[in-house]
This record gives sequence, C-alpha cells and structure tokens, in this order.
Amino acid sequence: MFLAIDVSNTQMLLGLYNGTRLQRHWRVMTDVGRTADEYGFLVHGLLGEFAAQVSGIAVSCVVPAMNTVIEALCRDYLRTPPLFVGPGVKTGMPILYDNPREVAADRIVNAIAAYERTHATTIVVDFSTATIFDYVSEKGEYVGGVIAPGLGIASEALFERAAKLYRVELAKPKHVVGRNTVTAIQSGLIYGYVAMVDGLVQRIQHEHGVRARVIATGAYAGLLAPESETIEEVDEFLTLDGLRLIYERNRAAN
Amino acid sequence: MLLAIDIGNTNVVLGLYDGARLQRHWRVLTQPARTADEYGFLIGNLLADQRAALTGIAVSSVVPALSTTVGTVCRDYLHCEPLMIGPGVKTGMPILYDDPRQLGSDRIVNAVAAYERTRAATIVVDLGTATKFEYVSSRGEYVGGVIAPGIGIASEALFARAARLARVAIGRPSHVVGRNTSGAVQSGIFYGYVAMIDGLVARIQRECGVTAQVIATGGFAPLLAPASATIGAVDEFLTLDGIRLISERNRGH
Repeated sequence: MFLAIDVSNTQMLLGLYNGTRLQRHWRVMTDVGRTADEYGFLVHGLLGEFAAQVSGIAVSCVVPAMNTVIEALCRDYLRTPPLFVGPGVKTGMPILYDNPREVAADRIVNAIAAYERTHATTIVVDFSTATIFDYVSEKGEYVGGVIAPGLGIASEALFERAAKLYRVELAKPKHVVGRNTVTAIQSGLIYGYVAMVDGLVQRIQHEHGVRARVIATGAYAGLLAPESETIEEVDEFLTLDGLRLIYERNRAAN
Repeated sequence: MLLAIDIGNTNVVLGLYDGARLQRHWRVLTQPARTADEYGFLIGNLLADQRAALTGIAVSSVVPALSTTVGTVCRDYLHCEPLMIGPGVKTGMPILYDDPRQLGSDRIVNAVAAYERTRAATIVVDLGTATKFEYVSSRGEYVGGVIAPGIGIASEALFARAARLARVAIGRPSHVVGRNTSGAVQSGIFYGYVAMIDGLVARIQRECGVTAQVIATGGFAPLLAPASATIGAVDEFLTLDGIRLISERNRGH
C-alpha cells in the first residue's frame, strides 16, 4: 500500500492508498517541537495493521523543520524510505516559475492532481494556512500563483487585535449587511473570503485571457465553495492524490 | 478650536479643527498600558500653544481600556470635559442595528461623515485594523455593516504563521499571477483585498437593491482605491470629520 503525507503549517494529512483508491486518512497537528519517536509512535499506531503493508511513501512538506522528523519516522517506524517532492523529483509538469526550486511542494502537487482531472486550463484554490491559487496553462505548465492570508489565521488576528470584537462561529449569515456585530463579522469572513476568491480567479483569467476550470481544496473549501461563483469542484484530498500521481510517475521512471 | 480624537485599535488620531477646517493632525500608538500622565504629557506637548485655544473635545473610541485614560487626559492636561461619542449622544442618524448600543462609535461616526457629503445611499469602507463596511440608506439611516480582518493584521498573520514565506512590502505588483513567491504574496494581499472590497460592495448593493456611493478611509485606502472598481472617493480624515460633525450637533446640550 502507498502512504501519502502532506505536511502543512498547521496540520499533517496522511492518506493510505490501495491502488488509486484512498482507503483511510488521518489528520494530526504539525508541531515542530515533537520528535521523530513521538510522531513515529503516533503514526504507526494510527496505521495499525496497515503499517506493515506500506511499501511506498511520498511526502509534500512546506515546513523545513519537519523534514528530518518525517524522514526518520518513515525509515524507522514504517521501514520505507520516503520520496520527498522537491527539486530533482520528476513531476511531469514544466514549471515556469522564475526559480522552480522556490515553488513549495504542495503547490506543484495540487497543480498536478488538478490537471490530471481537467487536462485544460486550471486554477487550484487551496484554503490552508494561506489561501493559495495555482494557475496551470492549457498545455499543463505550472505558470505561477497567488498567496493570500488564510481565512483561519486572518480571523484569529481580527479577534486578537480588535479590542471590542470577539470570536464568532465561522458560519454563513442570512444577510450580507449585518445588523449586529456577530453577523457583521460572519459576513466579513464568509462573504469577504468568497469575494476574494472569486475576484482573484476573475483577475487571473482576465490577465491571461482564458477561462479556467476551478478546483478547490483545503480546510475551508466545503464552507466557502457553495457561495462562490467560480469554484466548480471541491476535493478535500487533492494534495494526497497528487502525491500518489507523482509517486507513480517516479516509480515508472526508475 | 475643537480637538477630535479617534481611538482605534492600532493608532490614536488627533485632529485640531478651526471651524470645519482641519488645521493639524497627529497620530500616536494605541497602548492601553500607558498611563494618563504619559498620554497627557505627549498630547499636551504635541498641541503646544494651541492647547490654550481649545474650546471643545470629542472622542470616538473602540478601545474601552483607553477611553478612561483619554478622559483623564482631557480633564487634567487639556482642561476640557470631552464628549465621549456613544449611546445617548445625538448623532442625527437613525440606527437600525438590532442593539444600537452594540455599534462601535467609529462606525457611526464614519457613516455620519460620509452621508453628510453624499446625501444618498452610501457605503463607507474603513481599511484599518479591521476592514469595516457601513451601509447608510438614501434616507440617511444607518442600516448595518460588515467586518472583515484588516489587510495589515492578516498579512502579519501570514508572515508569522507560514514557515517559508518571507515578509514583503504591501504594494501593487506588476502581475496578478506571481512567478516568484514574493510576487505571489504581494498579489494575494493587494489584489486579494481589492477583490474582497469590490465583491462585498457588490453584494451589499445587490442585497439592498441600490447603487451606493462608496467612500474609503483608513491607512490602506490610498494604496488600494486606485485598483478598486467600486471606491469612488478616499478621505483619510473621514472619522475625524464625523467626530467634528457630531460634536457640533451636540453643542449646547
């Protein structure tokens, strides 16, 4: 079985694949203070009987301090050397970034998974710690992207920094114009972020003179997508699927 | 002369008015731990000899901890009883909020100043610590608003929390699609916020079935307004002007 590990700034998502099918998945907190032994014990325990069946691992990691921990966890607890997505790993996608080494692994992985589905001009929107947009051309080239503050960290900053505002539940209010502070904040977070996404997608399309397919992933995709005029599809496991594709392409190449 | 004081979550802005004319203005850091003596010494010295010419002070505050301090500064260092804008103070604007007492004074102040200019359906966009939208009907009623995270605090959170992202200056990049990380981050902050503003203004107008005039204020307004399709005017001193208007409406009470 194949294990995909997506390490983001706030969480690690692990997906266990049987062929192309995602059989199980787990989420754990990203904590650079924790050791390889702590994560090893945890992940080995979560995998349970499947731990012994893992024969391949691919990792996308945007937290450099976690690289050695993940490496040790894979080798020592799962007996499988991991493939880290990064410079030198075959992805099958030309990268037109000024410096391709600078594109974070999760962005390439998302772009590959999305283009595999559309085989057309595509924009991926990843609602993670940051809200990240990746633009893939019709020919399947990674062109570039946009990185905006994420909904979670921006709303936390609002509650911490504005003396009279308090934490509200992240939910869609009935009206855009709020008649009390709770619904005014809910509107700003939900409709404000939807407006940000739709507006950026439109500007990207306008700048490149294209109409793109738009696929969303990440923690808030399910909440925001129904209000968006541009998001067509939500896939919570897009990054895991991209890791599986890259792993297969590299196995076939070797 | 009137001293208008706008206590925000990041800065305290002071404006000295000669009639309707803003003669001088100053900006100091909001720091609730500082004492009335520290603020008194600072503000007294900034005002210098104009201190003697003060005939009134009006204050809008969204930081309760500083309201008391500034009240003491006004009495002990400026020898003037301030008008603290809040429930019970006459604004001349009906407030349709569920509980008008809950409405931040800066929001009603901005609405009053903007409607005084337009006399039409108006949306105020205040680009400060929070990004706030206020909707005023064509009859001059405060209807309600929207509160989103501010551009400054959201960007700081991004740099603090995303391990591999370096701090970039907030500015307008040459392209929407960035081909390097700093270009991508600049685009997300700049065009992301412009999109948020234009999209929320469009949704407010659609929901209320109006075409409103849009006036922006706050630290980031001059930067973002040129790229916005909806902002019609920028006024850096809208809040101070609203404080002056409300002070005039309460004179003699």
